[in-house]
Amino acid sequence: METYFSNSYKETVALGEKLGAALHGGRVIAFFGGLGVGKTAFVTGIAKGMGLTSAVSSPTFSIVQVYGKHEELCHFDMYRVDSWDALDSTGYFEYMDAGAVLCVEWSENIENALPDDAIRITITRGEQDDARRIDIEGLEERLS
Amino acid sequence: MRILALDCASVSAGVALLDEEVVLGEAFTNVKLTHSQTLLPMVEELFKNTQIPMDSVDGFAVTVGPGSFTGVRIGVAAVKGMADALKKPCYAVSALEAAAYPFRSFDGIVCPLMDARRDQVYTALFRGKNRLLEDSAMSTAELSEILKQYENEKVLLVGDGAQKGMDAFVKDGNRFSLAPSQFRFVRASSVGLLAKEHIANGEDGVKAQALLPMYLRLPQAQRELNNKKKNL
Repeated sequence: METYFSNSYKETVALGEKLGAALHGGRVIAFFGGLGVGKTAFVTGIAKGMGLTSAVSSPTFSIVQVYGKHEELCHFDMYRVDSWDALDSTGYFEYMDAGAVLCVEWSENIENALPDDAIRITITRGEQDDARRIDIEGLEERLS
Repeated sequence: MRILALDCASVSAGVALLDEEVVLGEAFTNVKLTHSQTLLPMVEELFKNTQIPMDSVDGFAVTVGPGSFTGVRIGVAAVKGMADALKKPCYAVSALEAAAYPFRSFDGIVCPLMDARRDQVYTALFRGKNRLLEDSAMSTAELSEILKQYENEKVLLVGDGAQKGMDAFVKDGNRFSLAPSQFRFVRASSVGLLAKEHIANGEDGVKAQALLPMYLRLPQAQRELNNKKKNL
């Protein structure tokens, strides 16, 4: 596991951008952490790093948002997904099979459906208002 | 009796038009495109190429699973729409039985496998026309155990999970073989011929509203989806 620290929205986006640039092909990126810790900011960075220009927003109401001309990035919010049937109907497995990058907010809710090679990102609050600790597990390299 | 048969329960999609036992036309795709994009254009082309009017069809056959959740729903929904509009009956066919169908003359066990992610598959077993195992969801390790009952027979693996089975059973000896690539995936013509067989056996079709997908619960899904109680 590698640990990073962010002191602002901007820094969180920048770290996400590095991760996005380091990805090769489909991968599940599982986010853990409560409301307002910066999960969507991190995904905004990943989209940027993947070279996508789409505007990223929280998929709280849509459950899934798909970015990119070739549906390269799928952004899930699993907050309200509470059964295997509900998960199936989001298209989670199909997008995975199609080789997309899947960013999954509220991965706590679907932990047993995460693939073994998922990248796990846990974001926690620091002492200062904007300070965040970002733990990344399952990535082969340290982002720099 | 004229039947339009559809399959998109697994990675591939196909459509076929049959008159009695004769396959009048067939189309097949195995590309990483959503079945909702490929299926109905194939149906349209098939009617165009065979110059057969769609309203001359007497019934619709479709694979209702097991397989991909979304794929099965696309196929079933497409057939429901057409059958309801034309007021014609629907015939449900197992995707696994359809995958095994071309190999009824194989001397041994035919084992269709549909990939269900991780180490899991949807599977069944056939010897000729006889079914030895109901459509089931299990791990390749469990299937390997079941196949030990037939240790003196050759086993032919078909379906989109055939290679996965081959990789898992390589330690179990050399009696396993892969179906040739052009026959490895479900063909819609097999779906149509199986539906004809069901009809010959006295099975009535169902109305569009009564046609249902058949899902099998994976062993993985018997666990809780989340590891711990929600703590939000």
